[in-house]
This record gives sequence, structure tokens and C-alpha cells, in this order.
Amino acid sequence: MPPKKRNDTKIYVEDVGLEVDAVIDSGSEDEARKRSKNRRTKPQRKAKHFSDEEEEEEDDDEDEAPRKRGKRKKAKLRDSDEDDEEDKRSVKRKASKASRKKATQEESEDESEEDHRRKKKGGKSVPKKDKEEQNKEKKGNGKGKRGNDNDGEKDKKKKKRTLSSSSSSSDSSEESLSEGEMAILKEEVEEKKKLIATLRNKPWRMKRRLVVLKEAQEFVERFEGALGKGKGRRLYAFKVMMTKKFIKFKRDFENFKTACIPWERKIKEVESHFGSSVASYFIFLRWMYGLNLVLFGFMFGLVVLPEILMGLPYGAIPRKTVPREEQEKAMDFSVLFEFGGYCKYSFLFYGFYNNERTIGVLQFRLPLSYLLVGVGIFGYSLMVVIRTMARNSNEGGDGAEEGEFTFSWKMFTSWDYLIGNPETADNKYASITTSFKESIVDEQENQKDENIHLRRFLRVLANVLILCSLGGSGYLIYFVVKRSQEFADMDNDELSWFEKNEVEFVMSLLGLVCPPLFETIAELEDYHPRIALKWQLGRIFALFLGNLYTFLFALFDEVTAKLESEKLIKNATEWALNEYRANYSTHFNTTDVPPPDVHPADVIRGPCWETAVGIEFVKLIVSDIQVTYLTILIGDFLRAVIVRFLNYCWCWDLEAGFPSYGEFDISGNVLGLIFNQGMIWMGAFYAPGLVGLNVLRLLCSMYYQCWAVMACNVPHERVFKASRSNNFYMGLLLLVLFLSLLPVVYTIMTLSPSFDCGPFSGQEKMYDVVMETIEQDLPSFIGTIFNYATNPGLIMPAVLLMVLAIYYLNAVSKGYQQANTDLKRKMQMARDEEKNRRNNKDSTNQVMKDLEDLLPDKSLIPPPTEEEPPPPDVVIEKGTKSPKMKPGGAAANGKGVNLQRDVSLAASNPRGPVTRAPGPRGRPPGNARGPQPGPGGGRGRGRPPRQ
Amino acid sequence: MGSRASTLLREEEIEEIKKETGFSHSQITRLYSRFTSLDKGENGTLSREDFQRIPELAINPLGDRIINAFFPEGEDQVNFRGFMRTLAHFRPIEDSEKNKNPAASEPLNSRTNKLLFAFRLYDLDRDDKISRDELLQVLRMMVGVNISDEQLGSIADRTIQEADTNGDNSISFTEFIKVLEKVDVEQKMSIRFLH
Repeated sequence: MPPKKRNDTKIYVEDVGLEVDAVIDSGSEDEARKRSKNRRTKPQRKAKHFSDEEEEEEDDDEDEAPRKRGKRKKAKLRDSDEDDEEDKRSVKRKASKASRKKATQEESEDESEEDHRRKKKGGKSVPKKDKEEQNKEKKGNGKGKRGNDNDGEKDKKKKKRTLSSSSSSSDSSEESLSEGEMAILKEEVEEKKKLIATLRNKPWRMKRRLVVLKEAQEFVERFEGALGKGKGRRLYAFKVMMTKKFIKFKRDFENFKTACIPWERKIKEVESHFGSSVASYFIFLRWMYGLNLVLFGFMFGLVVLPEILMGLPYGAIPRKTVPREEQEKAMDFSVLFEFGGYCKYSFLFYGFYNNERTIGVLQFRLPLSYLLVGVGIFGYSLMVVIRTMARNSNEGGDGAEEGEFTFSWKMFTSWDYLIGNPETADNKYASITTSFKESIVDEQENQKDENIHLRRFLRVLANVLILCSLGGSGYLIYFVVKRSQEFADMDNDELSWFEKNEVEFVMSLLGLVCPPLFETIAELEDYHPRIALKWQLGRIFALFLGNLYTFLFALFDEVTAKLESEKLIKNATEWALNEYRANYSTHFNTTDVPPPDVHPADVIRGPCWETAVGIEFVKLIVSDIQVTYLTILIGDFLRAVIVRFLNYCWCWDLEAGFPSYGEFDISGNVLGLIFNQGMIWMGAFYAPGLVGLNVLRLLCSMYYQCWAVMACNVPHERVFKASRSNNFYMGLLLLVLFLSLLPVVYTIMTLSPSFDCGPFSGQEKMYDVVMETIEQDLPSFIGTIFNYATNPGLIMPAVLLMVLAIYYLNAVSKGYQQANTDLKRKMQMARDEEKNRRNNKDSTNQVMKDLEDLLPDKSLIPPPTEEEPPPPDVVIEKGTKSPKMKPGGAAANGKGVNLQRDVSLAASNPRGPVTRAPGPRGRPPGNARGPQPGPGGGRGRGRPPRQ
Repeated sequence: MGSRASTLLREEEIEEIKKETGFSHSQITRLYSRFTSLDKGENGTLSREDFQRIPELAINPLGDRIINAFFPEGEDQVNFRGFMRTLAHFRPIEDSEKNKNPAASEPLNSRTNKLLFAFRLYDLDRDDKISRDELLQVLRMMVGVNISDEQLGSIADRTIQEADTNGDNSISFTEFIKVLEKVDVEQKMSIRFLH
């Protein structure tokens, strides 16, 4: 019921419009109050009638706000004539309110009077009654001025006023909000919201705006939730708040995520100066860092930390103690530097870990965890690499065919218009320049006309040369490794430092010398730089791979030798133990023999080949790091310094001439990274600390190389674009991963672990740990299942099934590829068709234009395209307005009304002006609707031809 | 103070702008406040200097061209209406607008109008053709002195060669449209105005 009532009054107000306003303003306060009460709900009416005054009193403060608003508007009045209406509105409200107050309350009257005085800063302090009259006058003026179109505003105004009076009551009687009041409140909230929205274009000072804004916002905040009831209200408020918070949080989180991409700025900076190819290296480095961080997490979280925290401390058992004969030298730097002494017996290496089945209060199964982490590292890396490759290949084929308008696109679309930071802008300049250079290179490559025979000959020659040098380097390594085995038989002290480190030295040297050599040879081939990079990568890959595997074979020789000696020692210790037991039992005449009381440092122990292998890998990595960093320091930095500063006093131009600045060697760096990773994968099983070392190394590399490349290198002479995806790098990495997987898995599966060191000591094979766990810790049926699963009868079908699955998936992917190309072709066809159609349309338009050229009034007719429909509408409209007109028009051109469309198009007769009239009408949509002078003029113009 | 009155945004004005440009009410008021904050002279119009104070435009190689686009020919002041008309080019095309009947006059933010706006940035002499010289000027702005004039010239030649279909050694608007056919102009030349 109440809402309906409200609706009624609303309609009433709308209908009556101005008159009602006038009545209220001029009429007595009683009437005004009645009206305002009319809007309130019936049941409350009476109570309100009595309490109104008191409420007024109570809510004086709250009334302050609207009053202020009024004040402001008043002030504006003086400023602007145009805003008369608005001002008047507020003044009116003010006045009515003031009058009400005058009748009811002395204090508020004083206050409001003061307000008025303040408002009339100009000194026009007018008594209240005068003011009221003034308002009425203004009202009268305003009536004339305001057209019908102000009706809406009026209505709004009206509502505002009544609302502001009723809001005071609703404030005080929040508890007993009726539906009607709710609706009012709702509207008021809307009003306030609107005020907030339109506050910006109010011509007030900032301070004022802020105050009003704050008030309005507070109001909205307070009452928005009140639209529901009781619990619902609070829930609503809560919901609104939460959604806002959530949206904000989401936005912040997105920003945060972007800001968290490490080194993004650094890489972008490099990219803008050196092109995408150099940047691709750094992106690859960053990716590698992420991968290693995860591996590091596995290794330290599941293996190293548990052993350190829960395992036996250093010195408790022989494997954790430096042997007596090594102890005096164990802290020497030269020993530590080669990872002997304390390093060798630390958590960095395999030997340190104990073979206790469970450790600590958590009963952590360390040996099992060690094995699983060792294998899991490979599994995880494999997964990540393959997934990245798949994603890259998806990105690669997004269908944007290049080559058609490369230069135009670069020209028209390369600038990023959102850049607002001068530094970024500099980078963007550089990158645009670089990208232009890249396209120039591509372009030159395309246009090269070539002597194909010479080219072929040169390429064959280059490949022969490179094969020769590959073979040479392979032989060199073989030779050195053989020699090192001879050295190993000799006494350690007789050898010089060089002889001890010959293998590492030669390998690093080869890695240093060969790539530039290959690059020089590759000049003969004259490939596009992008292809040349791939060749170069492939060749260096072959070189490194050869080196690595030679190294591995040498290592295996060593391992078998160690295994032999280990057997001897094992037998010897067992023999000694038996001796001891026999002696003990005969001496004390007891069978209860306590273990021999020997200090852990004095126990005889085997060579522990796993730790030896680990040490080899760590040494290799360290020497690799040294060589890489020194190369950068000398080859790039020193060279740059010399070129830069010696240039002042040198015979020729060093910068442009011979030494010049170094270029960033992409292929070498990428492969260095890949092989480094390969060695990490291989070595991580035998030296858990290696992963941590590698994380540190990559972190340093990132900063060091970024600095080096920005400080001492110059962009490549022929800057070229990296291929879209760096799947080539990934492919190499995958290959290396597989190749490093082989030896590790081989050793795990075939070699027996050392008897006195490492988590698997005492076991026949390393994987026995798994079997043991299955047998002892898991329910027996799992063991049975496992037994069946390892049965060859099951494995063979499984393999067969997998082969079938691969075959099937392969077929499916081929089918998809086919479908893909078909769809692409179809799309192309559709596009062509579309183009043709558009062209045809153009041509018809052309015909139309030609036709119109023949017309007399052509210059007056607005462009015909897309504007044909409006005229008939207008004509018809006109027809309905004045029936007379239709026959007139029809008679004039001798055609039916239906044909008027053609007429308006062709406009070949006196109706020309009529068709023209809609022009201005139709064009600016703003004028089309609503009673405005425009149409009147149009009609007027339309008349003459009728007569 | 009296002059400020003319800068006030009236409801009718908002309505008109709304109809002309398609911006929503709150967008208009928001942009109006931006307009007034840019308006350092406080005279209800923006001058070139006002625009140059925007950092994004100040460092943009084509900034001057963009600023020029705001001003009607021969004038160096732009009022709020004009300001909004130019900005309307960058209003994203909404889904509801896509399937509106094509008979209505083309909105300012249509693909063609967006492209035309871009085209005007390059077409300095407003002869509806981008000539080699105009391209060279733009190129020089974009790459500075890092590439030799000769190479720049060849880039400009290549660009024209790619785009030019009727052999007049310049790029007309239709050719320009064709070049950028595959570029997602609707999305790229749209600014997400806050509501």
C-alpha cells in the first residue's frame, strides 16, 4: 500500500510540475509540511506530525549538510547567471526549510539567519521574509525561462526537497523504517550517489568539493546497506564492502604479480639495446634459475635439512669424520679448494649421509627420500622442459603470417602510446631502431642473389673443417684423460698443479677456443644470422657433448678401479673384525663381544666412489664458473676498458678498428648454460650441495652478465630477431637432460654402493631401499601387486600399449594439423570473399554517386552513403502530423507515397528541399529528438513546395 | 569568475555529448574533471601547452601530431566538446553497438574512424595521402640518428612499395586500411575509460 501511494504523488508532481512548486514555495509552512508528510507512510503520519519539530531540532546537525549545499549554490548564483535554475532550486528549498524552522525553533532560526547572511557575502543581508518574496519572484522569472524540458529537473528537485526533510525523520527512527520510507531513503541514497558522480563538474573550490564529497560518501555508506532490513541490511553492507575489497585486492594482486616477475626491467633494457636474440638468452637464464630453485627446494627440504637437523652430528661415525691421516691438512685452503678435507666429509657430498632406515622423532626415511629425490629431480625437470616446449610451440603458431607488410606495420604500429616514463621511452626508441635494423637484415637476406655453386662448395668446406676440429678436440681429451690416469697411479705429491688439473684445464680451454673458431669458419657459409646461430649452437653442442662423454668414460674407469680397491678394503675390514672378535672371545672367554672401541677417525674405510664422482662434478662446475667469469672480465671488460681509454693515445682507431668492443656471444652462453645444467643433473645425485651452488651461480650470472652486456658489449653488427619461441634451446636442453639421465640411472641400477658411506651402504643395489620399504612398511598385498607388476609378462603388454598410444596420438595430431590448415584456408577464402563483396558495394556506391552528380542540388545534399533511410521516416512523420501535406507532396511529384524513398534518393524534382530538410535533423543525433527549435525550422522550410 | 561559468557542464550539454560521442554520463563528468585539471589557463579551453604537459604526449615522438589532432584546423584552442569528440575515437566498440543497424550514421569510434584518426597523424598536409617525405619525417622522429638517412630512405621506400597498390608512390587512406587490415585496431585504438 504505501509504495503505491508514493507512486501516486509522484505522478501528481510530474503532472503538475511548476504549479506545485509554486504552491509550496509561496504557500504557508503548514501546507508544505502537509505535502511533505503526504509522502510519508500513512500509519506513521500522525506520530510524525507531532514529532516533527523535535526531530528537526535533533537533526539540526544533519540538516547542516543540505544547508551548506544550498549555501554553495547560493554563492554560485553570484558567479554565474547560467546556473540560475539550480541556484533557485536550492534557494527555494532553503527558504521553505527556513520558514518552517522559523515557526518552530528559535535557535535554528538564528543559525539559518546567520547562514543566509554568510551566503549573502556581498552585504545583501536580507530579512527572511524579504528573502521569501525574492524567491517567489525568481520563481516567476524562472517559470518563463524554463521550458517543458525542465520538467524532469523540477521533479527531481522536488523530490530532493521532500527527501531532505524526511531524511531527518528517517534518521532518528531508523528502527521502524516502513517500506515507504525505505523507498524514500533509497532514492535519497541514489541522489547522493548522483551528487558524488556529478561533483566534479560543480564549479566549487576543491576544499568545498572534498567536504561535500566526504559528507555524501558517508551518507551513502551509512544508508546504502540500510536498504535491506535488519540482518539483510548488514549482510548487504558487508557484501558490498567485500566485493569492493575483493576487486581492489584482485587488481593489486595483478599488479603485484607483474611486479614480481624477476628482472623483467633488466631484461627489457637489454632487449631494447641488443635486440630480442640477446634478450632470449637472459630469459632462458631466468627460466633456468626458476627450475633450479625448485630443484634446490626438493634437495634441501627433503634430503639435506633432515640429515643436518635429525641425523647424527659431525664426528659421530666414521663417514662423518675426517680420517686421522688427513686431519692436519683438512683445513688448508688448497685442500678445501679442491673439495677435500672438511668439505669432503660434509653434507655437500653423498658419503656424509647415514644409512639408518629412519631418523629423528619424525621417523624420516632418509635413504628412501634420497633415492626418490634423486630420481624425482629428473622427473620434474623432464616434465617442466616438455611442458614449456609444448607451450612455446603453441605460441609459435598464432597464425600471424609475417612478411606481407612488415615495414608498414613497424612504421605505423611500433610506438607504445602508453609509455609515460622518459627512461622507458628511451628504451622504446632503442628497440624500435633495433627492430628496424632486424628487418633490414632480414630484407637484405631475402634479396641476396647468389652464386649457388660457390655457396655450396663453401658450406661443404666449412663443415669438413669443423668436423676436423671436432675430431681433434675429441682426441685431445682422450689423450689427456689417459694421461691423467697414469698420473693417478703416481704419487700425489710429485705432481704439479697443472698435471693434477690437466683434464679440467684442457676442457675449459677447448670450450674457450673452439666456439670462436667455429664462428670464423661459419663466416664461409654466409647464412642468415638466425640460421647461423642454430648451426653454431649445434656444433658447439657436439663439441661439448664429446668432451662431456669422454670425461664420463674416464670417470667410469676410475669408478671401477675404486670398486676393486673397495672390495679389498671391505674384505680386510671384515677380516680384522673377525680377528678382533676371535681375540676378544678367547681373551675374556665370552661370546658377548662389544663392538671394537676405535675412534671414528681411525677406522679403515673404503674409497667411497660416489663422493669421488661428486667431487669431480663440483670441481668441474667451479672451474667452469671461474672460466666463464674470467672470460667476461678479461675478454669483455678489460678489452672495453683498453679500447675506451687507450684510444686517446693509439695509432689507429681502436673503437672502430681491430679490437673494438666485444659482442655478446649468444651461442656460447646458451650452451654453457645448458651444459652446466647437464652437469648439475648428473652430479646432483652424488653431491646434493651442487644444486645450491648452481642456484648461487645463476643468480650471480644474471646480475654479472646483465651488467657486462650493458657496460662492455656492443650490439651485433647484424642485429637479428630471435625465433619466436626458444624451443631450439629447449630442445637442446631436453637432449642434454636425457644424456645426463643415462649415466645416473645406469649407476643406480647396476653399480653396488660403497659399503661404508652414503645412505645406501650395506645394500646390494641402491634401489633395494625401495624394495625394502615395500616389504616392510606397506601392507603385504602392495608387495604382491608390485611383484606382479614387475613380471615381464605384464611389462611387455604395457610397453606395447604405450607404443600403440603413441601411434594413435600421433595420428590424431596429424589429423588436427590437417584440419587446422583446412580451416586456415577457409578463413582466407572467407576473407577474400568479404573483401570482394565490400569492393562491389563500393562500386555500387560509386554508381550512386555518379547518379547524384547529375542532380541539380547536389551540393546541398549531404553525403548519400548510409543516410538513405531517414528521409522516408521523416516524410511519413510529417504526413501524420499534417494530413494535408501528403496529397500535396504526392501531387507535386506525381508519385505515390511509397515511392518517396526513391524520390528522396534521386531528388530530381521540386521536392528536393523537402528531402534536404531532414538532413540537419538526422545528422546530429542530439537534435533529432525532443522539442527543440531545429525541427520547427525544418518544418518551416518544408512548407514552400507544398504551395 | 564570470568566464568560468561557461565551463560549467550542464545537463543538456552532457546529453548532447552523450548522443554525439556515446560516452556515459559518469564518463563525461570524469573526463570533464580531467579536462578542467588540464586547463591551466582556466578559460574552458585547452591550448597546445596544456596538452604538452601530459608526460605520455611529451615523450611520444608523434606527440605533436596527436595534439594537433585535437585542434580544428586553424585554431589553437579546443573546448570540451571538441576534446570529447576527439576522445570518442578511442572509445572501445561495445558488443551492443556492433550489431546496430548500419543505416545509422557511423559512430566516431568505428574502425574506419579510428583508422582515419591514425591516418591523419601521418598525413601532415592533409591531402589524404601519405607521401615519402611524410614517412621519412615520422621515421626520423621514431629512430633518431641511429640509422643513416640512406637506410631510412630505403625503409620509407619499402613501406610505400608494400602498401602502394595504385602506383602513385604514396599511401592513400584505402591503402592504409588494407595495410592495417589484420591489425586489431578496434582493440588497440581503444582506451578503457573508467565508468
